[in-house]
Amino acid sequence: MPEPMVKLEGIHKRFGQLEVLKGVDLDVAKGEVVCILGPSGSGKSTFLRCVNLLEPPEQGEIFIEGHDICKGPGSGTGAESWELDFVRQRVGIVFQQFNLFPHKTALENVTLAQEKVLDRSRAEARAKATELLERVGLGDKLDQYPERLSGGQQQRVAIARALAMDPHVMLFDEVTSALDPELVKEVLDTMRELAEEGMTMIVVTHEIGFAREVADRVVFMDGGVIVEEGPPAEVLENPREERTKQFLGLVLDR
Amino acid sequence: MSEFFNQYFDFNFMGEHFGEVFDAFLKNLLIFVVAGALALTLGLFLALLRQLPGKKFMPLRAVTIAYIDVFRSIPILIVILLISGGLPYLEFIPKDIRIPHWFGQPDPYWYGVLGLTLVYSAYMAEVYRAGIEAVPGGQVEAARSLGMSHGQAMRHVVVPQAVTKIPAPMLNELISLLKDTTLVSVVAFGEAALIAREIQAETFNASAYVLAGIMFLVITLPMARLVDKLIKRNQGKITRGSHIEVA
Repeated sequence: MPEPMVKLEGIHKRFGQLEVLKGVDLDVAKGEVVCILGPSGSGKSTFLRCVNLLEPPEQGEIFIEGHDICKGPGSGTGAESWELDFVRQRVGIVFQQFNLFPHKTALENVTLAQEKVLDRSRAEARAKATELLERVGLGDKLDQYPERLSGGQQQRVAIARALAMDPHVMLFDEVTSALDPELVKEVLDTMRELAEEGMTMIVVTHEIGFAREVADRVVFMDGGVIVEEGPPAEVLENPREERTKQFLGLVLDR
Repeated sequence: MSEFFNQYFDFNFMGEHFGEVFDAFLKNLLIFVVAGALALTLGLFLALLRQLPGKKFMPLRAVTIAYIDVFRSIPILIVILLISGGLPYLEFIPKDIRIPHWFGQPDPYWYGVLGLTLVYSAYMAEVYRAGIEAVPGGQVEAARSLGMSHGQAMRHVVVPQAVTKIPAPMLNELISLLKDTTLVSVVAFGEAALIAREIQAETFNASAYVLAGIMFLVITLPMARLVDKLIKRNQGKITRGSHIEVA
């Protein structure tokens, strides 16, 4: 079996007294799309944010492309103990609240980090940004400020912004949860295309339909652990665990 | 009643002394411009030091916070007196620095500028801090996730947004600073309050004070109006902004 793209072992994370992650393991192969489902408070978003160290875990190992991104022996407890640069250059993330830079146009949102982090020339960064924004269907919105874009458009700019850094893995943190229902599809379509192009993706979502259709594997989390995982057909159609059944019953019965 | 007007609003008297008071008031403006520019710059620097992340910068953060707390808590008059009453006698400091006569201004001018800068940079640091903290945390997360360093995130993402949130409190501080330039009279610098006082002492007529007050008013009143306008405009923006966040 080839080296996993992302490998997480025994991830623990607590916020004060509350233990949010109680030892989570996950391997993601190159080109694989993994959807993480679970009720709110299950720790799925925290887990995703551990992957790119927005929430550095207190315990556990993280390997990106086989490289141990923990600096010291054992595990660190703070951001200083991790190879942040290595991670951030390879892992892109898209957030629930978009987090576009409101003082920058769509184009500038996508060029800023290219120029400052990757030292690309202005022309090079603009060409890349234009290409990406056209790809997500926003070729006519280059000079608009986020304020003037719909939620779905903002989220597609955010996807383009992450892709501009040439990530090897993309994380999606409930990216459609803040959108009006009629805007969800355009974002999911963009993600679907990305999956078809072979991007490695870890997607925290409530969109069961998307998981069923696009995911190679579905992971169900509850109470800070992985309860069940497997191909979507198995986990979504014939869940083994009672908690998974309960959750799916609640979500699908709407 | 006419006695009252003669004491405070003797317009002929004001006319006679206008030139003197006005020349002195220009010195207040000169202190204001230099101390204001320095305080705005140093204040931003302090606010950024205070935001440095991680355990490594703990001592630096602590020193910065101590500086801000101390200078926000001492009367400006005392700060200026501390400087003028001690600095000139510290002989281990080169004479050009402890008794400065830079750019043709006398040493009391520089003691005043230094005192006001020390105090107002602490005030300004707090104003900047409010602006920085008003920028949603998701902005830093997004910038850092794209590989930007803390400094890059501050410079390109946080500070540009922070400064758009604080023009009103910033202007308020600047209004206070302009008024507080009169405190430099305590080190015998010939600014408007001191000159007006000399005139009053010679004539027993307080109209020169009123005249000086009017000069301040002409500058500060429009600034205060501008603050109101900015606050109103900003409230409009916040209402629109929150709508977008929910959408």
